Amino acid sequence: MHLLKHLRQLNGLQGLRQAIRQVSSAPTKPSALQYERDPQPLFTDAETQRLLQSMTQLNLDRVYRKRTVPDNSSEIKFMTNEQLDSEFQDMVVRAQHMLQMPPIVEIKKDVERVIDKDPALKDFANTKYVFTDITFGRRQSERKVFVRETDGTLEHATLDTTKRMNQLYFPLEGRQSYTPRMFALEELLSKCLTEHKYEFILDRLLVQYEPYEAEFHNISARVFEHLNESKQFDLLRSTRHFGPMAFFYAWHRCIDDLLYDMIRRDYLHNAVELIALSYKVHNIPVEYEATLTELDKLHPTPAQTALAELRSVFRRPEDKQGIEQEINTAIGKTDQDFAADEISLKFIEQYIASEHSLKKVQLELAVQTLKEVNREKLLLFQGLKKAHGVQTS
Amino acid sequence: MLPIARGIYGGLVNITRNSRGAIHTASGFRCKAETSTSTDEKDAESTEVDGDDSSSSSAPDAKDRSKIIPVETSMRYLKSAAYKQTYGEDFVWTQYRRNHKGMYAPRKTRKTCIRQNRITTGNPCPICRDEYLVLDYRNTELLEQFISPHNGDVLSYSKTGLCQKSHLRLRVAVQQARDSGYLTYDVPFREYDYSEYYGQQQKQKA
Repeated sequence: MHLLKHLRQLNGLQGLRQAIRQVSSAPTKPSALQYERDPQPLFTDAETQRLLQSMTQLNLDRVYRKRTVPDNSSEIKFMTNEQLDSEFQDMVVRAQHMLQMPPIVEIKKDVERVIDKDPALKDFANTKYVFTDITFGRRQSERKVFVRETDGTLEHATLDTTKRMNQLYFPLEGRQSYTPRMFALEELLSKCLTEHKYEFILDRLLVQYEPYEAEFHNISARVFEHLNESKQFDLLRSTRHFGPMAFFYAWHRCIDDLLYDMIRRDYLHNAVELIALSYKVHNIPVEYEATLTELDKLHPTPAQTALAELRSVFRRPEDKQGIEQEINTAIGKTDQDFAADEISLKFIEQYIASEHSLKKVQLELAVQTLKEVNREKLLLFQGLKKAHGVQTS
Repeated sequence: MLPIARGIYGGLVNITRNSRGAIHTASGFRCKAETSTSTDEKDAESTEVDGDDSSSSSAPDAKDRSKIIPVETSMRYLKSAAYKQTYGEDFVWTQYRRNHKGMYAPRKTRKTCIRQNRITTGNPCPICRDEYLVLDYRNTELLEQFISPHNGDVLSYSKTGLCQKSHLRLRVAVQQARDSGYLTYDVPFREYDYSEYYGQQQKQKA
């Protein structure tokens, strides 16, 4: 192990840091909604993850939107169809990787871990000594940092110090050594929120803070609460923040607005998944697995949909599409979709009728309008089929 | 009552005089901007005109930059009709051309356009020529004009023609605006190693 002796002028910085703390205390005050117990086991559960990923959806245009980063050069290549297909598959895999959800873990408390008290070393210097292990290739969480206090105590460094030392020797791109003013000042954060810069705030939050820090929880909770009021959920759809957001709402029993949004946009299977998630989180004895498996059979996963969309370039224009396909694209729905809608609507209505939903009237109305639209679509669909003489199986 | 009236008269004279003049100085339109947008400015202007009137009956010194324009005024100016008339849909720097001898422009632009609160050059840079363009982190509409849509960097002075001093102030303002969330940018992607956060059971699964 390669220990590096490192001396910090802690006393000099103390005043400054305190000043920063005072400023930063404003927006990071504990929000009303906190995870009261460890959310990690529920969040990492395979089924929860599957539900959240399905809810996030995968819109390749949004994932691969043009970013203003120093290197965003593009490359033009000639490819055979097979090469192109494998490239498409890679692209979907990479997109899924870009949608990696940030971990949701408990707030870590600082514990004082004293290794040794050596009164003989008292007043050996008037500053603390920080020892950091800077071995190459070690993970951040495994890196050991110790502090020798001026009174001769040798102890493990606090989380704050550890993070600062890690940032000093192995900087994370985009992380500031100071609290960004956006997070430090209440009015700036609320200004960003009113301008609906949710994705920017959350992206920046991920880079600036670790998931186990109190600030991370407070600020993300504030963003999600604000989002629940402004109802701009579509801004986060198919970003990495949608899953944590849905999980947050499910945990705090306020899924109704998100549900309403999903019904309005005709993402019924997502609505079912959201309800199932909330049942799962709160251990409500309602059978939802059967509905989910039925829906899964009828609905492709987001990755499959994205891949199918990409592969549509292989269809040559002169190729005769089946008339059935043409009808499907005209209506925007297939037989399977109609079947899936029926199952999901039944499940959603069951939820609305139960005591768990809070905004019954609104949801009922949304469901009613959707039903009418769907009925019209179905009539048109069947009419078109009949007119073209397509056999209904 | 009298000085105010005289001030308004002075402004009118200015307008008529400047509407004939060249557009590229841009400062000619500031009087119009004032009459249409802000009243407090007009008062200030009128007193200034007053002072000038007592000594010589000429228009206020167009090269004088001693008055500090607040950012709020600048932000209003950028939304005003006067601004629109001056610059149209272009950025403030698009129409600007540097003056230099020979074929090639010097690599760097001039150090500063304003010395001792006066414009000391015949061809001041796009920011200095129009005193109502104030570089500040709150003035996002102005700052956005100097940011490349391709890579998110501040455009070089070789493209925009800003003097070195304005360019430095621009970079500072952009940095501040990004730090306080006035301007958004693409935050680098952070990849999580889940095993670092979820402990042992996850490790076994993976």
